[in-house]
Amino acid sequence: MNDYLTFALPKGRIMQDSMELFAKIGITCPEMDDPGRKLVFENRDDKLRFMAVRSQDVPTYVEQGCADIGVVGKDTLLEQEKDLYEPLDLQFGYCRLVVAEPKELLQDDDPAGWSNIRVASKYPNMTEKYFAAKGVQVEVIKLYGSIELAPLVGLTERIVDLVSTGGTMRENGLVEVETIAEVTSRLVVNRASLKTKHRRISKLIEDLEKVIEDGPRISG
Amino acid sequence: MPNIIETRLPTGVKDFLPVKAAKLDYLQNTLRSIYRAWGFRPVAPAILEDLAVLELGLGSDLRANTFRFDDRQTGRLVAFPPDITPQVARIAATRMRDMPLPFRLCYNGRVLRHTEQRLGKDREVFQSGVELIGLSGPEADAEMIAMAVKCLQSVGATEFTIDIGQVEFLRGILNDLPLDASQALALRTAITAKDLSGLQKLLKTLPLNDQQRTELLALPRLYGGRETLDLARKAISNPASQKALDELEKVLEVLTVYGVEEHITLDLGEMRGFDYHSGLVFQGFLSGFGRDVCSGGRYDGLTERYGFSSPATGFAFNLYNLLFALDRELDERAEEGTDFLLFSSGQDKAPAQRLAATLRNQGFSVARDIIERDQTASLDYAKRMHYRYLLVLKASQEELTLIRTADGESSSVTQDAIESGQFKI
Repeated sequence: MNDYLTFALPKGRIMQDSMELFAKIGITCPEMDDPGRKLVFENRDDKLRFMAVRSQDVPTYVEQGCADIGVVGKDTLLEQEKDLYEPLDLQFGYCRLVVAEPKELLQDDDPAGWSNIRVASKYPNMTEKYFAAKGVQVEVIKLYGSIELAPLVGLTERIVDLVSTGGTMRENGLVEVETIAEVTSRLVVNRASLKTKHRRISKLIEDLEKVIEDGPRISG
Repeated sequence: MPNIIETRLPTGVKDFLPVKAAKLDYLQNTLRSIYRAWGFRPVAPAILEDLAVLELGLGSDLRANTFRFDDRQTGRLVAFPPDITPQVARIAATRMRDMPLPFRLCYNGRVLRHTEQRLGKDREVFQSGVELIGLSGPEADAEMIAMAVKCLQSVGATEFTIDIGQVEFLRGILNDLPLDASQALALRTAITAKDLSGLQKLLKTLPLNDQQRTELLALPRLYGGRETLDLARKAISNPASQKALDELEKVLEVLTVYGVEEHITLDLGEMRGFDYHSGLVFQGFLSGFGRDVCSGGRYDGLTERYGFSSPATGFAFNLYNLLFALDRELDERAEEGTDFLLFSSGQDKAPAQRLAATLRNQGFSVARDIIERDQTASLDYAKRMHYRYLLVLKASQEELTLIRTADGESSSVTQDAIESGQFKI
């Protein structure tokens, strides 16, 4: 059991990108070619195990030691502030976390004059921190999806959300006002695993460093 | 229908039922026997402290997490200690200051810490640890690490590592950098997370020279086996850090003599530990368990905060973490069952009471099944409540039946054999 290296990967596109990158350093899992509804995949020859989880759950699985290694967006790491090592920027999954508001509001809006605002977001912690650092009092309404809807129906004036191309925001009449953070996918490692499996994990990090492409790119 | 009353516990604390509590007992007893074998004597610090006194020994990290409240008798604030080391430092610096150094002290106790309300974080921490006060130098540091290894082996851990860091090594690199508080925090955050790309990005914005940049960039990758020491020597050139590496090398030499080097890893970029730490620090990790099970290190400045300057080092186990990491291994080691449940039929209970007393005098653990029930029900109870044997005494019969609860196998034994002390299980 313990001689396995276990990965927690977010279901979907980032999982594909991760496995493509891992393949370049010889980490593969043929069992994943036919995923079905399975959540755990094994490569018994190389003693590797891969778990497909929700991206927001990756830091939890890795921090608690259920997985040694994970791949997760910097947005999730900043929001959750778990105690993890974060040794590599994998450069894919690029997007930005921005403050946006309706076009009409922007016309006579000056961010320097904000003192008390309502914001809808999936990222309440980061939103509060960002505005607190600017000296702005913020009331965050936590939503779980379709954040762009909030200003359209008057739930809040502004939103904090991820954009990659900006298409969804434009279609809903929203414009970006400020960028809070640039986001890419990161390799995260459990603290105890880095110590107790340091040869294997150090080698993996060194090998990955050589094949990661320069510059962030959007996954799509 | 039982009357169900809501009896929730605050989050972050736990009750332990007999099976787990027996394992906790085993851990405490085994660790204490190692402490004793190395010459450490127990101290038992108070459960409450005057906040102002306690805070002398706490950095901002622990201060923010302290449970405190009003003392009705004095109107002063009192607190539950969040850590025992500052208490032992206070005791050594005040109550024991006229005794000859060094002090080798050990303790067992529960502390409370406020934590963020999230899954898997304990507010109650059960610590078992040692403090070695009055000694500086590599031999004392090595003694702590060798002891920690011995402790882990004695409780049944096989795959584990003691991961060593060096606070002075880091101070050599980080002190005197021309940074404001928020820049310094960003730097610490990136180094703590071993976030090399984040660090590279950050360094572009900071007013540092080339040597400083090179040294900082080396930190996220300075971890691993003994070779880390050589890598560090090549990467880091400031005198304070070099001196710290010399000290570390001497400690590793002593650890080789103790024969524990296979359990040692190094992490020279590790910035965790408490505010009071100085010099060599370490944490213990078990393979397959995501959190540290013990931590400790040198704290040369702590006793001085209580008016008595002395070098010191120590470490403590987090017993709950150790329990969860070794839960399965402890199934066999922690003998938590009782030897006999004594079942007797007939109205005269005196023979059974005498027999129980005889067995206890011989060192067995025995409970009498006082409830009136039949033998099957008694055996069922014995199985569920972790008795190893049901011992059946029938009125006016010399022979007793012994039923093993694990598999129901039965054998017989005579009262004479028990009374003459020849009976074994």
